[in-house]
Amino acid sequence: MNKLLLCVALGLFLNTAGAQNRFFTKDAKINFNSSTSLEDIVAESNQATTFIDIDKNEVAFSVLTTSFKFRRALMEEHFNENYIESSKFPKAKFSGKIVTTIDWKSEKLVIAEVKGQLTIHGVTKDVTFMAQITPGKGKIIANAEIKVTPEDFAIDIPSVVRDKIAKEVTIKIDAVYTPYQP
Amino acid sequence: MTNTMKDKLITSLLVIGMIVFYSIPARSQDLDALLDKETKPQTTYAAATFKSTRIVNGHSVQQMKKKQLEFRVSHRFGDLNTGSYNFWGLDQGTIHLGLGYGITDWLEVGIGRSTYEKTADAFAKVSILRQSSGEKNMPVHISYLASTEVIGLNTNPAMQQNFTSRMSFIQQILIARKFNESLSLQLTPTFIHRNLVPTELDKNDLFACGIGGRYKLSKRISLNIEYYYVYRANASSLPVTYYNPLSIGIDIETGGHVFQIMVTNAQAMREGGFIGKTAASWSDAGIHLGFNISRVFTFNK
Repeated sequence: MNKLLLCVALGLFLNTAGAQNRFFTKDAKINFNSSTSLEDIVAESNQATTFIDIDKNEVAFSVLTTSFKFRRALMEEHFNENYIESSKFPKAKFSGKIVTTIDWKSEKLVIAEVKGQLTIHGVTKDVTFMAQITPGKGKIIANAEIKVTPEDFAIDIPSVVRDKIAKEVTIKIDAVYTPYQP
Repeated sequence: MTNTMKDKLITSLLVIGMIVFYSIPARSQDLDALLDKETKPQTTYAAATFKSTRIVNGHSVQQMKKKQLEFRVSHRFGDLNTGSYNFWGLDQGTIHLGLGYGITDWLEVGIGRSTYEKTADAFAKVSILRQSSGEKNMPVHISYLASTEVIGLNTNPAMQQNFTSRMSFIQQILIARKFNESLSLQLTPTFIHRNLVPTELDKNDLFACGIGGRYKLSKRISLNIEYYYVYRANASSLPVTYYNPLSIGIDIETGGHVFQIMVTNAQAMREGGFIGKTAASWSDAGIHLGFNISRVFTFNK
């Protein structure tokens, strides 16, 4: 009987250990910049949800496009109404794999290659980008930069304002992950 | 098989069973599913119910957000039925210049001046309820508008004697719903008090109700229609026949500007005028071509 109890205890231990391989945060920062000399276009959301699975080296992001805040209220309105079409496509998503092998116990900064699918405006594209990942005790700090173009995601920009919006948009991500307890 | 061996076998089977049992549900749930689980239902507020702060002549529930300033130039040509001598109304023009500023996201104040009876005006628009869906559900947007107009024209001796007789006060409740991306409708119950009216037969208090809407023809162009029903119990006995204002317009939005081009039987561009004193009618081509130009400036850091 003692052995049976041991088994149950072992099983429970394995279960919690299983949960420890996932890290997450609900308040990751994502900002993007598509400024030109004519117009400053910068927006930030601090409500992105993201997971890292350190066993499978997987990473996933999700952010509501309406959570992006702009300096100009009108720009925010146009972003949601005319460009991203938030009512039709409320979320932007990424899911992919960390290609570079990371020693998750090392507590050292690693420049890692991440490959996966980015979905914006209902269009999914394969992207590859470099991320700085610092594993730590009970947390993981990560930041990354992705460059995309509005055309890649079928975002239509009228010719009157084409010169005001950068051809290439830089997306920056800042996340501090903590262990995920389901 | 000895008992200890049996025990060992059972134990190892249990261990394997436990590992399989505990790890399977965790593994089968991929990160995408976890993301959906952790992204809680949020409240989304309907934005851009209308493209501009006016449907055509009257206010819409749209207002300037905090530290946003709107400069608005409105222009109405003369009556179409004045014929070739007056170049079908284009020889004449009535202008309104207005500023609106968002003190907070829910309070906008504004001032304006019109060549129509040399009227100066000031208003405050308060957003009371916002249309939302998700965690919080609210089917309509409700705003309150209070406005004061002062007639500057010096042709009425009573007005020259007493400043307050130049004033009228407008109260409106704006109830709007954005039904979908294209269609928004607004009901606008209105109460107008005029301190001085043209004749004894005119009532100082005027009740009216506006109905207006927009339908988006494309992402940046919409068709707007606005009609105000004005209640006048003694309309037939009044020396001047007043009509209910009906306006049909097109909104064209280009970034920071919104252009509104319209035809309307109202010549005035403020509530006291277009609701209270529209004396031209569509049926005898008493219509005016007009436009509004709105430009928004931001004072946020």
